[in-house]
Amino acid sequence: MENKPVVVIGAGPAGLAAAYELSRKGIQPVVIEKADTVGGIARTETYKGYHFDIGGHRFFTKMERINQLWHEMLGDDFLKVSRISRIYYKGCFYDYPIRVFNTFFNLGFLESFLIAISYFKVQFRPHAEEVNFEQWVSNRFGKRLFRTFFKTYTEKVWGISCHQISSDWAAQRIKGLSLVVAISNALLGVQNAKSLISTFNYPLKGPGMMWQRFREKIEANGGQVRLNSEAIRLRHDNGRILSVLHKKNGVTAEIFNGHVISSLPITQLANMLEPSPPDKVLEAAQRLTYRAFIIVILILNKQDLFPDQWIYIHSPEVKVGRIQNFKNWSAAMVPDSEKTSIGMEYFCNVGDETWTMSDTELADMASQELSVLGLSEVSDVTDRLVIRQPYAYPVYDQDYDSHLKVIRDYFRTINNLQTVGRNGMHRYNNMDHSMQTGIMAAQNVMGANHDLWDINDESEYHEEKKQKDKWRILTKDMLVPAFNRMDKLALATALGFTFGLLFFIATTWTLIKGDSILSPYILLFSQYFIGYTLTLKGAFIAFGYSFTWGFLAGWLFAYLRNLLFAAYIYWARRKSEVLTLIDFFDHF
Amino acid sequence: METKKINNNNRIKEEKLFKGVLLLNAKIIGLVLGLMFGLMLFVATNWLVIKGGYQIGPHLELLNQYFIGYSVSFWGSLVGFAYGFALGTLSGSLIGWIYNIIVKLRN
Repeated sequence: MENKPVVVIGAGPAGLAAAYELSRKGIQPVVIEKADTVGGIARTETYKGYHFDIGGHRFFTKMERINQLWHEMLGDDFLKVSRISRIYYKGCFYDYPIRVFNTFFNLGFLESFLIAISYFKVQFRPHAEEVNFEQWVSNRFGKRLFRTFFKTYTEKVWGISCHQISSDWAAQRIKGLSLVVAISNALLGVQNAKSLISTFNYPLKGPGMMWQRFREKIEANGGQVRLNSEAIRLRHDNGRILSVLHKKNGVTAEIFNGHVISSLPITQLANMLEPSPPDKVLEAAQRLTYRAFIIVILILNKQDLFPDQWIYIHSPEVKVGRIQNFKNWSAAMVPDSEKTSIGMEYFCNVGDETWTMSDTELADMASQELSVLGLSEVSDVTDRLVIRQPYAYPVYDQDYDSHLKVIRDYFRTINNLQTVGRNGMHRYNNMDHSMQTGIMAAQNVMGANHDLWDINDESEYHEEKKQKDKWRILTKDMLVPAFNRMDKLALATALGFTFGLLFFIATTWTLIKGDSILSPYILLFSQYFIGYTLTLKGAFIAFGYSFTWGFLAGWLFAYLRNLLFAAYIYWARRKSEVLTLIDFFDHF
Repeated sequence: METKKINNNNRIKEEKLFKGVLLLNAKIIGLVLGLMFGLMLFVATNWLVIKGGYQIGPHLELLNQYFIGYSVSFWGSLVGFAYGFALGTLSGSLIGWIYNIIVKLRN
């Protein structure tokens, strides 16, 4: 390996994981971070002793290696939390996932009845095409339930109408929708939906504690983490990044690097290259968009507000999309146990009406909305803080894929540059997947050949994945034929013929043997097989009757088998759809 | 792009799921039926042997009209198992074979 440092741009989960992996193997990375704290979008902010996240961050992963890393970093400071998160709508709390009786009780008889009618109506007359998200959800839950529970919240998060959200995009976000996957999950008891996990881990003082430990370890291993350092330019030539220019406290410095691992928003990175990339790359970068996020922290003079870690606000009369209750994540997040700190979350775009409101206006709106929701009074608010987060969520509009491909293809021509993390890859990675991309990027620097774009939300650690792949393919390949319908006519005929043959042989055998002690007993069949005798004619009559009964039994067996399998498939599909929809909403 | 490929694969699998027709493995069905019949006869015979009585299994004994060498005794139960296994295997295999032929003819 060459002697020049590896520059990691961004000290979020992906950047820190990459830097830690490098430092463990004796390579001293230089991490450049624009903010004054580590953690990126997953950081923890502190205000007068109160800690709060930029959106809630659960620590849960199926990747054993990442899980081990987390525990290794925090030890006993890594708490186990029982999840409670509900929907708040028109003054009532609804269980999440939605439960029938709870919903019925809260909505009342008339509304529940109308929702049920709407649900059954769509079972018989669904939308013929599922072009948009609205149609997709309505086809599965009914139009009324969609309007009641899903429409408002989705439009708050995305800022566009549900019928403008492509169903393809929804399907991308909604995992496990494949029927075969649903059945294999149901049969094998595999749980792909993170949302069904009833507990998760959480650092004592918020995710920032985790990232701070990473920083300490990186520095202990000889690496550097430079905060308040903003990357400005990446100079490149002949397919290589030559140096990274960054600014700290007004002073510009240049690092002549070996490799660069960037978790910057991919759109920003494209614009930082010098010389600039071709116009089509810059145009593609301009067309990729991000959803922004504002969290208004309210410190309340109340010991308890609600027991949930967060609640989804589906009520259309307020702008707030979600409310975090940081005390319920960890009591250590709040220094005064007589008080509560909550985060009122607003989804917006940079420069829109919400984003351009002043901090005071936002704080006033948040306090007011909390009162409108009936959760607290404005007078209970003792302190307020506003935090804005641009580049919070990459937007998957209809064309994002093609724009991203243009940028990716260009970056592939730069040999010592890798992009990692949610914004670096314009992907809905969770923390664990972001970290995984960072680790694999670090391994690539050391000679491996991982394709970072191969890691998706269902990825497991590469080696585990290899072993499980064979089993997964095997089970899925076995499942499809096993669940095929049974041919009723074929089974009926086969059974009928076999039964008939058995009786025919039994009769003729007795006949051939002559006067047998079995004869009177065999003749008892004439009680059921009218006309049956112990003669050749009787043997054929026995064949006829047995064939008929065997045929009917076979037909009935195949019919019931198909019916039960269809019911199972229907159940597995419905369960999967509910789980995946929950997963979809849980991603924000 | 990657997602479209995955969705396409899933669609193909779902089409196979709904349009495909089950084929039976005649050997497996034969084996299962053979084991079931053999075991049933073995258990039925030994049940009567253990139960005992003045006349043990007079009706079950009639099976020796078809299963030469069979008797309601322990050794007979082993003979019965063999016959039951053979009969079940043949019947099961025949059912599977006829079923598969008809399915292939219809499709």
